[in-house]
Amino acid sequence: MLMKKSRFAAGLAAVAAIALLAGCAGGTDTAASADAKPDYTKMTSKELADHLIFNGGFNLAHETQEGTTVAARMTQDNIQKMCTESRNKPTPEQVGKIVAEARASIKYPEGGIKLGDWKKGRDLAWSGFGYRAGHNNDNHASREVGANCYNCHQIGTDRTGGNFGPSLTGYGKTRGNTEGTRKFVYEVIYNAHSYFPCTIMPRMGYSGMLKEESISHVMAYLLDPESPVNK
Amino acid sequence: MIRKLLVAMPLAAVMVTSAYAEQTPGDVLRGLIDRTQSPYLTQSPQNVQMIDDSPAIWTGYEGGDLFKAPRGPNNVSMESCDFGKGPGVVKGAAVELPRYFADTNKVMDLEGRIVHCMTTVQGFAKDDPAVRTRHGSNSDMMKIMTYIAMESNGMPWNPPLSHPLEVAMRDAGEEMFFRRQGLMDFSCATCHGPDASHKRIRASVMSSSSVPSDWTKSISWPAFRVGQQHARSPQNRVRGCYWQMRTGQIRQDSDAMMAILSYWTDAARGQPAILPDMKR
Ligand code: HEC
Ligand code: HEC
Repeated sequence: MLMKKSRFAAGLAAVAAIALLAGCAGGTDTAASADAKPDYTKMTSKELADHLIFNGGFNLAHETQEGTTVAARMTQDNIQKMCTESRNKPTPEQVGKIVAEARASIKYPEGGIKLGDWKKGRDLAWSGFGYRAGHNNDNHASREVGANCYNCHQIGTDRTGGNFGPSLTGYGKTRGNTEGTRKFVYEVIYNAHSYFPCTIMPRMGYSGMLKEESISHVMAYLLDPESPVNK
Repeated sequence: MIRKLLVAMPLAAVMVTSAYAEQTPGDVLRGLIDRTQSPYLTQSPQNVQMIDDSPAIWTGYEGGDLFKAPRGPNNVSMESCDFGKGPGVVKGAAVELPRYFADTNKVMDLEGRIVHCMTTVQGFAKDDPAVRTRHGSNSDMMKIMTYIAMESNGMPWNPPLSHPLEVAMRDAGEEMFFRRQGLMDFSCATCHGPDASHKRIRASVMSSSSVPSDWTKSISWPAFRVGQQHARSPQNRVRGCYWQMRTGQIRQDSDAMMAILSYWTDAARGQPAILPDMKR
């Protein structure tokens, strides 16, 4: 929660700073400030991109499911900034910062990392529902928020998964359902940059997209010897 | 224009359209496939088979009638409007957009230019349903946009970069394309960047903006979306991808939208447009 608030505050500060730079403080979220439009050709492409995003390009005031606004979602944090700047090939110095920050961000469940229900995990791993906002808004009261794993990973053998990430079929069988594996998988789901700086895998624990209980179900799907993933 | 359909059409219609009858969208697609054997382009045999029977073609024909009809409070047709190649010129206009327009001092896309024509020349109010309703095959917008786009089928994408604003917007669009943000830390490049070419999201083979001979199909809109049973616009696709990325809504007609479209069109430069396309 603290993290969310500070990210949000940082977001607002960035919006305000950009508005000041553009000389139109107070009119941050209107497409109509055409007369105050700065000379785009005098800005660097990065300055212009930020300007377009924060001055009329997005519906910044729109409220999100996590209780912030779109302004917070569009504002980059350190890791997003470093991975954008380096186009996902961080310098050794950036690697150090990213890994340290990612490690520090991980919060562990009280009472240790436990496996939940692999059946629930199977459904969650497949589902892409949740947190979409804009012309349609996912209503979290209507359905469980999904984990999106199948978009990038092959996991079970009964469905086609993507191949942006490695196949996780038989993961528990090959890695073993040990404390070490459970810790690793938990940390990867929570914030994969702790092992793979500038990975494309979303930080689903850190961002709050996946709650502790959902993580435990998805982990069971990968690691429980009873899960079809390990048969 | 569309060879297969022409066979079934009355002679009068054939006479009108035969000037453009060289290639169908399917011909263009098959030409690309012959040249590249790309797993992105070949992933759906049904798509290749059905593309020349796309309902979007009819959407475009209806748009042609709307384009030529006197409409709006001023009761004039769209034939005096400038889509970048001079008043009334639609052939080849779509593959040279977005571009800079001196009359608005802005870089504009086809959709924005249609709005401009309707509101200035034809005199429609901005909130008139004819202008405001942008999505779906039944909207005037999608009909007119598809008509104009069809007149560029098979032509190479060639958005001008001669005005400094065109360059600035294209470069800002590239910046936006690679910018990681939102709850899932995605950029467009996560799924359409140099490392994503021919990888799969679930069963879908992805195209990369760094492979122009694939990317041309990706950016060929309007396209009939089989899953939605409607012709969809480029702006509709951009909005959908940001939505999937868990950012928030990118605004219709905004300069941010023009920047993305300027970059993505430039990335397909030189490759033939498939218009109208058919997609999942
Ligand atoms: C956007 C794509 C994407 C999504 C979504 C995604 N991953 Fe990943 N994942 C990756 C990539 C790519 C890697 C490889 C690490 C790297 O090199 O970046 C990876 C690595 C992993 C690993 C480590 C594999 C190993 O032992 O080396 C695990 C475990 C994993 N993912 C589990 C999951 C789970 C569970 C989910 C859903 C909660 C998920 N992933 C969602 C892309 C993704
Ligand atoms: C998490 C992955 C992901 C991200 C991030 C993403 N897209 Fe997509 N994009 C997709 C998928 C999946 C499709 C649909 C492909 C299909 O239906 O076969 C698609 C379709 C497209 C298409 C049409 C190509 C086609 O094959 O239908 C374009 C163009 C496109 N996206 C552009 C963008 C832009 C611009 C952004 C950034 C604003 C973006 N995408 C972000 C996954 C993504």
